[in-house]
Amino acid sequence: MEKKKRTYIADIQRGIYDQKNEFKYKYKSEKGLTSKIVKEISREKNEPQWMLDFRLKSLEIYNSKPVPTWGPDLSDLDIDNIVHYIRPDADISTDWDEVPEDIKKTFDSLGIPEAEKKSLAGVGAQYDSEIVYHNIKQELVDQGVVYTDMETAMKDYEDIVKEHFMKLVPPNDHKFAALHGAVWSGGSFVYVPEGVKVDIPLQSYFRLNAPGAGQFEHTLIIVEKGAEVHFIEGCSAPKYSVNNLHAGCVELFVKEDARLRYSTIENWSKNMYNLNTKRAVVDKNGTIEWVSGSFGSKVAMLYPMSILRGERAKAEFTGITFAANGQYLDTGSKVVHAAPYTTSNINSKSISKDGGYALYRGLLRVAPNAHGSKSTVSCESLMLDNESNSDTIPIIDLKNDDIDIGHEAKIGRISDEAIFYLMSRGISEEEAKAMIVRGFVEPIAKELPLEYAVELNNLIKIELEGTIG
Amino acid sequence: MYNENLLNNLSFKEYRLDKLKKYNKLQIPKWKRINLQDFDIPDYREYNNLQLPGHEDLDIRDMGTVKEDINEFTRYLRVNEEFGVDKKFVTLTEALSNSGVIIKIEKNKRISEPIRLDFKMDNDNPLLLDHNLIIAKRNSELTVVMDYTSNTKVFHSGVTKVYAEDNSNVTIIKLQRMDEDSDDFDSNIAIVGRDAKVNWVSIELGGKITASSFITNLKEDNSKADLKSIYFGDKDMEIDVQYKMNHFGRRSESNINTKGALKDRAKKVFRGDLDFKKGASRSKGEEEEYVLLLDKTVKSDAIPALICGEDDVEGEHAASAGQINELKLFYLMSRGISESQAKKMIVEASFKPVIDKIPYEDLKEKVEENIHRRLIDEKS
Repeated sequence: MEKKKRTYIADIQRGIYDQKNEFKYKYKSEKGLTSKIVKEISREKNEPQWMLDFRLKSLEIYNSKPVPTWGPDLSDLDIDNIVHYIRPDADISTDWDEVPEDIKKTFDSLGIPEAEKKSLAGVGAQYDSEIVYHNIKQELVDQGVVYTDMETAMKDYEDIVKEHFMKLVPPNDHKFAALHGAVWSGGSFVYVPEGVKVDIPLQSYFRLNAPGAGQFEHTLIIVEKGAEVHFIEGCSAPKYSVNNLHAGCVELFVKEDARLRYSTIENWSKNMYNLNTKRAVVDKNGTIEWVSGSFGSKVAMLYPMSILRGERAKAEFTGITFAANGQYLDTGSKVVHAAPYTTSNINSKSISKDGGYALYRGLLRVAPNAHGSKSTVSCESLMLDNESNSDTIPIIDLKNDDIDIGHEAKIGRISDEAIFYLMSRGISEEEAKAMIVRGFVEPIAKELPLEYAVELNNLIKIELEGTIG
Repeated sequence: MYNENLLNNLSFKEYRLDKLKKYNKLQIPKWKRINLQDFDIPDYREYNNLQLPGHEDLDIRDMGTVKEDINEFTRYLRVNEEFGVDKKFVTLTEALSNSGVIIKIEKNKRISEPIRLDFKMDNDNPLLLDHNLIIAKRNSELTVVMDYTSNTKVFHSGVTKVYAEDNSNVTIIKLQRMDEDSDDFDSNIAIVGRDAKVNWVSIELGGKITASSFITNLKEDNSKADLKSIYFGDKDMEIDVQYKMNHFGRRSESNINTKGALKDRAKKVFRGDLDFKKGASRSKGEEEEYVLLLDKTVKSDAIPALICGEDDVEGEHAASAGQINELKLFYLMSRGISESQAKKMIVEASFKPVIDKIPYEDLKEKVEENIHRRLIDEKS
């Protein structure tokens, strides 16, 4: 059989994402994880007693749980070699000019202050373990919208935080949720009062600069009745030779008639273990929309979950995963239909190349009381060579007869016919392939705000640059 | 109870001893999707209901009468990989099979009339551990129909190994119509050669616990496999079906098509895997499951997995579930057909193409009658 030509794709030059700053800090915990370290973190943050108790309880749960073995290999992740808390050499500020020069430069090159001026209603920026910048437009403050860092929220809105904090993702959910409960630091808190519609997005950007460190930010968003907001989360880190760990936690509460869109462009470096937990609970008529792009990380285990607990609640998930050399990206989505007439719509795309491993793992569960529910799940995978792997494992779990469920998955390569057709129209082979990949991710790109769609296309362009062989 | 003494008068003693050691080391599995907890394997009993069909062009033997310890079939017994519903049940049957048939068709022989094996279980034969070997030599063609029935609560653990050598075409039609209190564990594996094809037809109707596994290794270039199955679950039946297509050869093709219906409190798990190994370029696999849920109290799980280590393949799977299409129902009812009658017609119509694969009229009628009867005692 004739050997097929394949596109050779060089490893990604990640440009600005790989800019490293000198490692400076005000305080950093020792490597590893002990109750002493947890107490130190809490003391450093001057937390109320209940939070310290919560942290210590989580640590106990962490120590009692085994490392999950059903997914990617985590044996190389050595918690005892991870620094769990690093306070950067900067205080939180609402003015970029007050942020230390090197940190500001990093965010400048990531385009955050620029985007803030143009198209965002509020920005949070986290550097290692703490938020260094947080700001929101005055008119939103006037409407009662709260967008601040979790530490400030702990002080100013303690009751709300205490009522919601790790209630949706309890520490006993899994080992890394427990780890998060023990050492969490930073993250954003958003509260949108009843009926307020925030038209332009809020964005938090998480940057991990320190080598061999962990980032454990907590994002808590509460969207009250009839309110709407779009939240964007960005993350990146420069590449180091030691493993970094990200075990964040996102808890989203979408109340009656409310709507929340949660977009993520994740571009961690390829020494990162991204073991993030994201969960939303949606009340009557509410909508959660997830838009998720996973490009970075060495290992990712990420399955945003939507619990539709109110009648006619809706979940939409649009995700893309791009796994290149040395990456094992185990991503997917979970939906629980726990009330009548709920709908979910899942659309996942994955691309693997150069030995990368892209895996879609999904769960769709329909509870006995969720009659009249509808769900469609569609997964598509594109493999760019046969060094790579791409698996799809959707689990469908139905306990009701009055439902309408459809699942489809497709796997394959770029079809020769499509390339031939484009080339016959005078388009080069390289461009034809790039066009097909862009077309493949287009449904995701169009869900993103313009700047992010551009970033996504850039990332794909970077990933696809190479020689045709 | 399951010890070496039982092996004294049996064939393939060395092979069985080895399997018995493995069996004794293994725990009885616990399954959570269908409820298998604290399951007991009943005591050993002889099975004396086997009647060997005769055919002048075929080598058909009773597994129990093969006396030489090592013979031409020994190598076919050994499968160097895990397969089946669970290792415990597979090794049980491999060690202590009390029945089983070897069918070998020589090269270039093509036999159009099917070979029928009836496995009848009853009060005197309540335990069946059948270990079957079906060997199709180059360029041969064969159809085997295996019909499992019981009129009382019985235990069945079967292992069937199919070798389809180059350019052969083997069809295996399995019917499971056991009593509703019976437990059924059935493990099947096929190894498919170059340009060869294996066709599986599986009809699962009976049993309290029904677990069946069909694994097909498309070992060589241009090998093909086709699997069509139906299941019907009612009352408290628990069904776990696994279909796995392992693509090794280039341009290998597979197709899985499953239809089922669940009523009362029946539970079902469908596991369908298309696994494209690296090097299986230009292979194609398709998989589809559709289940009709006839009651609120049923439980239906589906895990259709696509595993891909080769880019130059086409894999597709689809699983869907739902109630009976309202438009179809409305149409039939507008023609004066009652709702329950209409539902029944729709289920039966969706099963029809698979039932039509059965090459015997009497069996076809029995299967249709079985489904018809269980659909009819609907409350309405």
